[in-house]
Amino acid sequence: MPSQPPLPPLLAPYVSNLPDSSLTLVSSILGATSNWLVLRFLHAALSSPSPNAAFGSDELHNGTKKKVVLVSFMRSYEFWRTEAKRLGLDLARLADKQQFAFIDGLSELFYAPQPTATPSISPSGLGSSPRTTLPMRSPPGAVPGRSPQPAWPTVTGARGNAMPKQAEPGIAKKLHFSGRGLASLDALEKDISSVIEQQKSSMEDGDELLLIIDQPDLLLAATGPSMGIGATEMSEWITALQQHAHATVLTLATDAPLIHNASTSGGLATPIETEHAALVIGLAHRARSVMQLRTLDTGAAKDVSGVLRISRGGGLNASEESLEEREALYFIQRDGGVKVFGRGES
Amino acid sequence: MSFRKRNIGLSPGVDRNAVPNAAAQLAAPETTPGIRPSPDDGRPTTSTGTRSLDNLLAGHAGLPMGKILLVEENGTTDFAGALLRYYAAEGVIQEQKVHVVGVPEQWGRSLPGLIGSAESLDEKRSDRRKDDRMKIAWRYERLGEFGAVAGSRGAPNNPGEQDTAAKEAPAFCHAFDLTKRLTHPSITNMYFIPVMSSKESPFLAILKQLQTAITSSAANTIHRIVIPSLLNPTIYPPNASQPEHVLQFFHALKALMSAHNTRVTAMITVPLSLYPRSSGLVRWIELLSDGVIELCPFPHSADAMATSGAATSQEEPPQGMLKTHRLPVLHERGGGSDQNVGQDWAFVLSRRRFEIKPFSLPPAEGDTEAQEASAPGGMPKKSDLEF
Repeated sequence: MPSQPPLPPLLAPYVSNLPDSSLTLVSSILGATSNWLVLRFLHAALSSPSPNAAFGSDELHNGTKKKVVLVSFMRSYEFWRTEAKRLGLDLARLADKQQFAFIDGLSELFYAPQPTATPSISPSGLGSSPRTTLPMRSPPGAVPGRSPQPAWPTVTGARGNAMPKQAEPGIAKKLHFSGRGLASLDALEKDISSVIEQQKSSMEDGDELLLIIDQPDLLLAATGPSMGIGATEMSEWITALQQHAHATVLTLATDAPLIHNASTSGGLATPIETEHAALVIGLAHRARSVMQLRTLDTGAAKDVSGVLRISRGGGLNASEESLEEREALYFIQRDGGVKVFGRGES
Repeated sequence: MSFRKRNIGLSPGVDRNAVPNAAAQLAAPETTPGIRPSPDDGRPTTSTGTRSLDNLLAGHAGLPMGKILLVEENGTTDFAGALLRYYAAEGVIQEQKVHVVGVPEQWGRSLPGLIGSAESLDEKRSDRRKDDRMKIAWRYERLGEFGAVAGSRGAPNNPGEQDTAAKEAPAFCHAFDLTKRLTHPSITNMYFIPVMSSKESPFLAILKQLQTAITSSAANTIHRIVIPSLLNPTIYPPNASQPEHVLQFFHALKALMSAHNTRVTAMITVPLSLYPRSSGLVRWIELLSDGVIELCPFPHSADAMATSGAATSQEEPPQGMLKTHRLPVLHERGGGSDQNVGQDWAFVLSRRRFEIKPFSLPPAEGDTEAQEASAPGGMPKKSDLEF
């Protein structure tokens, strides 16, 4: 199997050079996940154009420097780090260079582990991380951080500037959800924007910051109207975060039950379905482009992973820029390489 | 060739006889029993206790550590429960810590009894098939299966090197007998976490117990989390199925698994008749799981199926269809490329095994004349096809 370029040529125009204040929506379903596409966004923004990037010559390249803040609600840093490595991106090194920041919305979002937990997690859970960082880790992380939850917004505010003393290497911040309604979303927004501002502080003129939020819809599903969070609150939350970034990429689940139940089954739809549909459809109207991932309609195939459809979103200013709509097949190889090709091609 | 061999002979300390074993011995010391690297990408995997399910999991030949496998079942049968019992029993045999949520200790006492390693069962079956074959060189015929059944036989009369190597490698997956009860010293090590109804999320207490048990255990302990019939109203209080409770639990479970991604696996079953796949809640549960498998048993009365579903008369008729909606690791990367994806699978649960095999409909019955008519001709001749 010939190795594929990290960024398939067909895909390149859609994932790189996103215009200012644009919103790109990546929609995925159960059998066609979006992680590979998010990695392509990372690659487009973070890899240097020179072919020998691995040798550290990326300081020299012309044009704008890009930074990425990735907020992931479904995957751990470990996952993103190993998968990015397959594309030749060293996220740990990029994080050191302040080009990349990872915000962990998975590990402690709803339940923070007990303080006793911290010493024993590390040797096994982060098997690859150097042991030397462990002693440093527990004092700042465990003692102030895991104290009672209501104290969180103030504590994180204090910790926001203490980047070098971060709890785990590579993770800029761990999100914590507490309370209910708008206040809890505001606290999350403050956490994320503090990391963004931190990244911006080292930016020069013309640098661009790309914000990628991986499955913010989880937040809506796992809280819902009974906790005072609905589609309106969520989309306002996303708008607020968008303002901090040059361009924003969102991944959302668009499985049929989550989208279509709301409209078809009349009164039978549950809040989780109606709110999700409202959020996704609302965002699609605001987005510049929608990249839809789905499985083949005709069943599974051995050399096709799924279908990628790129369409214009409601937020595209058609008079100023053009975006070619297209539908292509993609195939993810064992080695992580991706082929994107038109129907009938190979 | 001769050049190389001489080279080996010259270098001191290399025993030629030891060379074949070297690889096995290198790997042996650091591996924990029941854990083996995936043939696909080397990540640690553990067995689900069902060999054919292991083989289904996207080329990893086991459930990768740190992953959640969701088994959904339609109807009122309990095939998923059987899979879950195998999974728990395998954990007991491998002396892993098994945490069972929501069922009384009775459940633990009804785990299926051990027969032996899964390989040995396969060997026996193939042996039985071999019986009616012509025998050549009968004195060597048992050599192949030596290592696999070494435990069940008396003194091995051929202490070959192959044999010792096979005995050193502990079995990865075992076979169980549903009619017997498991007796194993470490069966008392199972933890049963009750579901308490509370005003808060009923999962909060469960999660806390899991978290303390896993974080406070030694770093080399392997854990299995077994959650039978999630959200079943006979086990869970009504407020458990509120999305904010169950989805937060799944999210936190996912976090727990990724924090200990070399030590924990989980298998969860969900009754689809109560929580259909077309609902948003179940879809989110699926999205939060790493592997999703759906069992669709055939209606019990379908005796017609019993005769027509089996490809041959020797094979047991399939009892239902199995669908893979998502496979661990593979779909996390984006999906595709696995030969097992998109196949139609059928499953058969017998006393001794849960077998998953490709589903194939036999040629239509009552069409024997047509078949016979075409039989003499056999394959069409090449000249017939050319035009």
